[in-house]
Amino acid sequence: MSDIEGTLARIRSQLKLDSETEQELLAEIRSHLEEAVAQARAEGLDEAEALAQVSARFGVEEVVGRSLQAAHAGWGTADAVMAAALPVLCALILRWLAFAPDGTAVGWAQLLSRPAFWLVALAGLLLPVVKFGRWRYALAGWAVFWALTVILVVSPALRW
Amino acid sequence: MPIQEQMRKGTTTVILLNLLAEVDRPMYGYEIIQELEARSQGAFRFREGLIYPRLHEMEQDGLLRSEWQGEEGERRRKFYTITAEGRRRLAEELQDWRSFARTVNRLLGAESKP
Repeated sequence: MSDIEGTLARIRSQLKLDSETEQELLAEIRSHLEEAVAQARAEGLDEAEALAQVSARFGVEEVVGRSLQAAHAGWGTADAVMAAALPVLCALILRWLAFAPDGTAVGWAQLLSRPAFWLVALAGLLLPVVKFGRWRYALAGWAVFWALTVILVVSPALRW
Repeated sequence: MPIQEQMRKGTTTVILLNLLAEVDRPMYGYEIIQELEARSQGAFRFREGLIYPRLHEMEQDGLLRSEWQGEEGERRRKFYTITAEGRRRLAEELQDWRSFARTVNRLLGAESKP
């Protein structure tokens, strides 16, 4: 199976994605290669012949790697705008929840007891998971949400 | 590049959507390749590795959704299913394809005459 490892290494050499995505891509390719080799062996080829046949049918690894990189690199504009805007939007909604029109703050204890607050916080966490399918992005967005929330609550200058 | 190769490249998306719509069950990459080769009686031979970037792009476009299946200790596979959006796109692409094929056949004089 060493050729499979070599194939995966040559594909990996073309990838510049987060490790979670790379591992998932390579796991899918590994599954394909192992099944193809097993089938070739079942058809009577020896290990070396099976690996050679599978490699020939698979294509040039570097080309596959570059195509995978292109397919996964970067977000679309709409995704990027949503990723950036969501925590800010949540924090602004929170600000509306946390302060009366005259700027009087409700205080942390009262704020944390409001179901609407937790609804906004959960939406800020779960929407990116649904949209992007990655907890890492969701947690990063949530961290921004909480940072903006703290800034809004503790900074009187921002209580418009 | 042979004309068949050029046409295959231009029609991969609709072929993949059509297969997944016809079988109406989740399929994984290797299985898709095998099925397409069998259905085309070997005429469509993909560079197998290149099907994955295409599947991933289609998933990102909302045409497919995927799910890993398989228990620990056995081979895990990523299965693809056509979405409602994928079915809508398939219907559009099939309509375009039929219109295009009729036009080309007419231009080449290959259309059957009554």
